Amino acid sequence: MKMKFEKYFRPATLDEALKLVQEYGADCKIVAGGTDVVIRLRSQMLKVQTIVDISAIPELKEVKVTEDKAVIGAALDLMTLSKLPELKNSQWAIIAECAGHVSSTQVRNRATMGGNNVNASPSADTTPGLLISDAVVNVIGPDGARDIAINEFFTGPGKTVLKQGEIVVSFTLPAQDDRCEAAYKKFSIRGDTDIAIVNVGVRLGLNEDGTVKKARVALGGVAPTSMRAVAVEEYLVGKTITEDVIEEAATIARDSIKPISDQRASAEYRKEMVYVYVKHMIREAVAKIG
Amino acid sequence: MSNTSEKNTSYIGKTPIRVDAYDKATGKGLYAADYTKFIPGLLHVRVLRSPVAHCQITKLDVTKAEAIPGVERIFTVERSPFHMERLPEQDRFPINGECIWAGQPIAIIAADTMEHAEDAMNAIELEYTQLPHVIDGFSAMGKNPVSIIDPASGKGDGVIDETNPWAKIGKGATLDSKFSGPNIVGNYILNKGNVEEAMAKADIVVEDSFYNDRRVHCQLERAVSICTYNSDDSITLYGSGCGVHGVIKSAMVNIFDLPETKVRSIQPYIGGSFGNRLNPYVEVLVAMISLFLKKSCMYEYTREEQFTGGPHAWPCLTRVKFGATKDGRVIAQDYDCVEEVGAIQNNISYTGRLSSSGAVCVYDIDNIYMDTAAVVTNLMPVGPYRGLGCPESEFGMECMMNVLADELGMSAVDVRKKNFIKNGGYNGYGEKVTSIGVEKCLEECAKKIDLDTPSVQDGSVWKKGKGCGCGGKQNTPLGRAESIVRYYSDSSVEVLISCDENGMGAMTVMAQIAASELQVPIEKVKVIKGDTVLTPFDNYSASSRTTYTTGNAVKIACAEVMDKLQEAAAREVGVHKSKVVIEGTKARILGSDIEYIELSTLFKNTSPYDQGNWGLMRFSPVEGHGLFCPAPIRSWGSDGLTSRMWNWFQYAACALEVAVNEETGQIKLVQVACSADTGNPINPKMVEGQIEGGVILAAGYDIQEGCTYDEKTGAVKNAGLVDYRVADMTFAPLQENFHSLINPDPLPDGPYGAKGMAESITIGIGPAIAEGVYKAVGVRPTKFPMTAEYILGLIKEKKAKEAQK
Repeated sequence: MKMKFEKYFRPATLDEALKLVQEYGADCKIVAGGTDVVIRLRSQMLKVQTIVDISAIPELKEVKVTEDKAVIGAALDLMTLSKLPELKNSQWAIIAECAGHVSSTQVRNRATMGGNNVNASPSADTTPGLLISDAVVNVIGPDGARDIAINEFFTGPGKTVLKQGEIVVSFTLPAQDDRCEAAYKKFSIRGDTDIAIVNVGVRLGLNEDGTVKKARVALGGVAPTSMRAVAVEEYLVGKTITEDVIEEAATIARDSIKPISDQRASAEYRKEMVYVYVKHMIREAVAKIG
Repeated sequence: MSNTSEKNTSYIGKTPIRVDAYDKATGKGLYAADYTKFIPGLLHVRVLRSPVAHCQITKLDVTKAEAIPGVERIFTVERSPFHMERLPEQDRFPINGECIWAGQPIAIIAADTMEHAEDAMNAIELEYTQLPHVIDGFSAMGKNPVSIIDPASGKGDGVIDETNPWAKIGKGATLDSKFSGPNIVGNYILNKGNVEEAMAKADIVVEDSFYNDRRVHCQLERAVSICTYNSDDSITLYGSGCGVHGVIKSAMVNIFDLPETKVRSIQPYIGGSFGNRLNPYVEVLVAMISLFLKKSCMYEYTREEQFTGGPHAWPCLTRVKFGATKDGRVIAQDYDCVEEVGAIQNNISYTGRLSSSGAVCVYDIDNIYMDTAAVVTNLMPVGPYRGLGCPESEFGMECMMNVLADELGMSAVDVRKKNFIKNGGYNGYGEKVTSIGVEKCLEECAKKIDLDTPSVQDGSVWKKGKGCGCGGKQNTPLGRAESIVRYYSDSSVEVLISCDENGMGAMTVMAQIAASELQVPIEKVKVIKGDTVLTPFDNYSASSRTTYTTGNAVKIACAEVMDKLQEAAAREVGVHKSKVVIEGTKARILGSDIEYIELSTLFKNTSPYDQGNWGLMRFSPVEGHGLFCPAPIRSWGSDGLTSRMWNWFQYAACALEVAVNEETGQIKLVQVACSADTGNPINPKMVEGQIEGGVILAAGYDIQEGCTYDEKTGAVKNAGLVDYRVADMTFAPLQENFHSLINPDPLPDGPYGAKGMAESITIGIGPAIAEGVYKAVGVRPTKFPMTAEYILGLIKEKKAKEAQK
């Protein structure tokens, strides 16, 4: 089917974009890479009359990586992001890794971090990386700028806390501790071009004595939104990582979720895969710390 | 007659560049959708389909929809010139407002643009009451099943009321079959020897039941047809459908009562079929619209529609019981096979006989009892898929051969070697088998991956295991093929044929045959294909028949050309044609002082003012016509036996190694060896391509493809290529671990001893994977797709059982 809309804008500045989204209100959709929006326009799941394309705004494509934080522009394509040396060699390497698992080369060449998250799919690949990195979503809107913690950003499938007229500008990643590493698994049947049945992100920070100082566990594909498995995190803090602890953490993860059955997998299988991959990701994170 | 000798067949068994290579690689070749650029004023078609598997329409109002600007007409059952009987299965409107599968056409919209057609589709007012449905073969055969039609419409009870349009849906069992009931639509029984007695004498008996899920062909090019309405009230169809003469033109002439000269059917390049495009469905709708509105129109399926409105591949539910001696000789085969065929009406094709043909053509077993049937459900009506049910029916056979080997502690190769039919022997029907190379195929595959040496484990969660499987597939003698071959003065050649080129390389094979027969370089052969006003009759390319049937026709046409050239040379010199030997572009003359003459000199030059142009002449080629038709079958009795049920059989074998993730249940192909008995291959490289494609296609549906259904609506849930997981290239093993092998046993009646091969290679893959899984993790899959979730379930079940002990 063909897309049906009346107006298409491609502003060169953020100010211009803000004015447009305010002017057209609810009848307007922001598009960056278009890998989700175009499909939904074509299938007429999404019906709007105005498209505001933010892909020509230079400041939305900036990446700044420093010692104490990284800021990633919302409209940078995931291919560039996944290969960015300053990110891959940083404490936020997991962000690049997650970006590299989004679908195919063709899709990553267009899709963006902003789009992948604003789309709010519970199985989005970049979200677990942000969740385990305590990312902050930097938003600008009619009432000015505001920051939203990533774990408070999603409200349901396709739904976020963004208000009418707001645009995601960037994601800020705070500094991570020393002896802190992350691991991510996308579990799907047909590799990255498939949609994840579940995905699991784990970040562990260890004290000098080997006990867990900080734990972040993010799960996708098991709830209406990507989520932090807080019960698992709480369990892990203070523990020395042994096979028994890993087993218990995975069991808590499995028992704490209520996934649905759909055409991709049954609820039972999703629970089982969370159990399997929480174990693997804890081991992988610990191995990276060394 | 032709003096072609073996030494002259220079292109046979070689691999020249495909004649369509440049067209396809450069994009110059046209596909059906490209033709829309040249046809003005095309109408576009959309179809409103039933959203549920079984319902009674309570309201269908197209008034608002038809008022949308640009909408030409909306066809519904009341507003259509044809609605039942004459329309193909997939196109039938509901009878009395009762939809019997999700996807059944309810309204067909023709509009000036796609957008207007879609707007109209959305504006149609449809209301319905859902009725109980049955969407799997097991339930359909169960006790007191839901009938696939509303019982009030005349549920079958064994008595056929010919006046009832539903009559043949539930006609019940026709033979003394264990399969009967309101949803059984046909039976076939084969009874050879005495299974009961033989089973009692057997040293070992093994038995299990098997099934598979529904699949969709997923050929690259979606179904498309363009119909132009011409000023002489004739129609011309361009499309991706198969069989320009035997399927499309004949369907149009028969359905719409048209003179044979009023339908022209053209097949440009097509992007695959795998059986999906053997039955006309889009073609009939565009023709109906064009003829009714006297306008040109086109209809191209969406990918989703290929799942909801195009034929599916039928699953088989089988039970296999073998009785064998302790040295591995199978002496009794007790076998059930049920084809689940969807909402087929007025069934004439499905009885279980098609699929079960695979279960009696590989092994020489003295006592066989096969009880087979077809069962209808509220699912998309089925159509043929690569292998015509044999990969499905033989899955259980081959799995049980592996079980038998394991139980006897024998090698899976040795057990099979004890049981293979030998060349000159007879198959289960009583047909003499004149070409069977399956044993050589299996031996070479087994050797290639060292089948009998257990896999080396690396300590990871990926456990490895090896397995093998074989397959045989009949060639159905599907009527005639013709060919016209034209030989010009400069020894350039035109070959006119009407077989399909689904991508398998038929055009190249025909060029190779013509070049070899006429002793000309293949570059001088031009193949012209698939236009009913230009190219002669061919039924369609199915059942791997093209190389055999059309190939024979081309060879015969070439022989006629050679005969005419000999005659012309003989007259020129003054000898009998038997004294003329064609050698390339020369004729060698025996018994004359003239030793050689150039064939080109036989063709007189001509100008527009020349008089008396008799004899051979430039621009007027020597023409040969070839017609080939396989020998007819002989009907069978209540025991199902006959000396000619099919034509010949193609065989294949494979041996492979899989890795199974014991935590997730995923299966990966580690190494694969697959070998085809092609008869003598005309083009070995293309055979290898067919093997590689066939292995990946089969492994794809053996491991991860399959339709899933919404229990409430009975509609396909994964109708698209996102969640219907066709195998991609990453699925294949590395090239160095992927062996495509050819082990020919020449077919006496095939051209140069060749036969078709592209179906049988898909058969052994599933059973080999199942055996590999068993060797890797100790569980035996009995269905496909062997999804990760299914395999993990088996592993957990096994662990739970072990824990109980």
